[in-house]
Amino acid sequence: METYLGIDVGSVTTKFAVLDSKDKLVFHLYLPTQGKPIEMVQEGLKEVKKQLPKEVNICGVATTGSARYLAGVIVGADLVKNEITSHAVGALHYFPQAQTVVEIGGQDSKIILIRDGIVTDFGMNTVCAAGTGSFLDHQALRLNMNIEQFSQRSLESTTPVRIAGRCTVFAESDMIHKQQMGHRTEDILYGLCQALVRNYLNNVGLGKDIQPPVIFQGGVAFNQGIVKALREELDTEVIVPPHHEVMGAIGAALLVHEEMSATQQESQFKGFGISEIKYRTSSFECKACPNLCEIAQLSINGKALARWGGRCDMWERAE
Amino acid sequence: MRIGVPHMGNLHIPLRALLERLELDFVIPPVNNRRTLSLGVRYSPEGMCIPFKLTLGNLIEAAELGADTMLMPAGSGICRLGYYAKTQEQVLHSLGYDAEIISVGVSQRKLLGLLEAIKRLSNNASWFKIISAFRFGLAKLNVLDTIERAVQKVRPVERIKGTANQLFAQAVSATEQADDYKSLKRVQKDYLEQLSLAERDESAEPLVVGIIGEFYVLLEPFSNMDVEKELGRLGVEVRRSIFTSEWTKFSLFLNPLGVNEKDRLHKAAMPYLKRDIGGEGWESVGEKVLHAKDYDGLVHLAPFTCMPEIVAQNIMPSTKENIPVLTILCDEQLGKPGMLTRLEAFVDLLKHRRRARVKV
Repeated sequence: METYLGIDVGSVTTKFAVLDSKDKLVFHLYLPTQGKPIEMVQEGLKEVKKQLPKEVNICGVATTGSARYLAGVIVGADLVKNEITSHAVGALHYFPQAQTVVEIGGQDSKIILIRDGIVTDFGMNTVCAAGTGSFLDHQALRLNMNIEQFSQRSLESTTPVRIAGRCTVFAESDMIHKQQMGHRTEDILYGLCQALVRNYLNNVGLGKDIQPPVIFQGGVAFNQGIVKALREELDTEVIVPPHHEVMGAIGAALLVHEEMSATQQESQFKGFGISEIKYRTSSFECKACPNLCEIAQLSINGKALARWGGRCDMWERAE
Repeated sequence: MRIGVPHMGNLHIPLRALLERLELDFVIPPVNNRRTLSLGVRYSPEGMCIPFKLTLGNLIEAAELGADTMLMPAGSGICRLGYYAKTQEQVLHSLGYDAEIISVGVSQRKLLGLLEAIKRLSNNASWFKIISAFRFGLAKLNVLDTIERAVQKVRPVERIKGTANQLFAQAVSATEQADDYKSLKRVQKDYLEQLSLAERDESAEPLVVGIIGEFYVLLEPFSNMDVEKELGRLGVEVRRSIFTSEWTKFSLFLNPLGVNEKDRLHKAAMPYLKRDIGGEGWESVGEKVLHAKDYDGLVHLAPFTCMPEIVAQNIMPSTKENIPVLTILCDEQLGKPGMLTRLEAFVDLLKHRRRARVKV
């Protein structure tokens, strides 16, 4: 069977999606990155191999997410794509009529505007991470519950409290203040969901023409409280796709399928064997000029595979 | 007396030529680097923009090298830049440097401000000597800009990535070393020829993106994270609205061509913005209106906290001339990976847009 693999290595989670030649999702996987992108890509590949039938042939691999270049070198990606494009392509595959994509991930949030199947504008959070998954995880932990409990409890709210959501630090202190005043936990939780949605719309969505249908993707779409708050705030149709958490990886796989069909080339995929290789990452300061760039390096057995981070391309070209 | 100057792109090369010809004692501080930025950030008042921070860092580094007389552009009517020289002088004094900053009025007095300052500094050298030194400096500036325009065209289509950047780096140092008109001319000819010989992908039809916005962040690659190189790497041909030589000519000579160009931009902006709001805000709106048809997209660069550009940014979405604009706010908090993600997504957006237009 011909398949295409998309790998989305984000700051908090690593996602894998395998599509067949008809672009049907045959396997997907959602793992915590835990600050170890290389290990997680290796572990994920092991799992992919285990779960897929033996006769499966990987005809193209694409990487996306904030560690897309690193992951791309490790797996031998045929395509390295930014996560904004990947998410848009994923959403359009399932909803060709989509006009707005809201994506809230672990560390950043995006909005993508689509008209007639073409991305016309996008935005990404710049000043603040309030409203992203990491913050919600942190608050759930502080209230001694897991994120599923957070999601359920927030729906039980009857009179949500207003929480200042401008910045994570202020949101947290405001939340603690409301707790100390004796508000019910579920009302605080839903109040937080509303604050985060407001913050998202006022920062990332500022000045953007949000038209339905709105597709809500990313890990945070698991949180029923946020979904409800977003529906209320936008007062429009908000669709959470079945595989919303792996849409970036699906989009990447779709793109590499298209690319490989167009170029008719063999995949650069290095095979599942790379799960066993020991990679080493290191960094150093280049002293060739006063810029003193920080260069990051990926190597196997002392041999450099790739380098990043310079203002000039001296190190990228160096053997 | 030892003169010190701040950096902006490659402006130090013509400045060096000018000061050398006038046989003045001067220092050029190290080109913008992380230390310059840290110094500038540490000693700047809160809320200042990246041009202030970097030039302050330059002046501190010049003072460390013994400079006691600094040249800084200034003038009322542009933006806060009007009082940068005074503020920076106070910072230098509080750091214990007994330095004087000579503000060179570039807005109202044009050429005269700089020439008079130089006349005074050069111990009353003859006007002939000053003007001929000045001409040589401008000639270097022109060579640099001519070569850079060629580089912008080669970057997106070169077969071996990095060729144009390497040639440009060599051309810059060759221009710096050239010490008469003849060798300067040769540098220009040599490098234009080498660039034209660079192996390129003839079938490529690169996207064309205009770079607009505030002049310092446009002209100083360190402050905009080399946005032009990165776009070039993504296969995009860059057209920049401002070049140092034009900016200098305009702000110094009131060059007739320069005036026309600005008038054209103001006229285009008229339906949306009727007056100068400082900095290049008016021009930015005009650029969007004028280039909506001939470019695929615009990258709008603005220093964080820059009032004129923020106003322009908020006016731009309402123009009926439609072209995608990506605004990038530059300051020391700008992260390169985040910027690259946005640039890549923007380039994808432009590619799809062009493809859809071709189909229709």
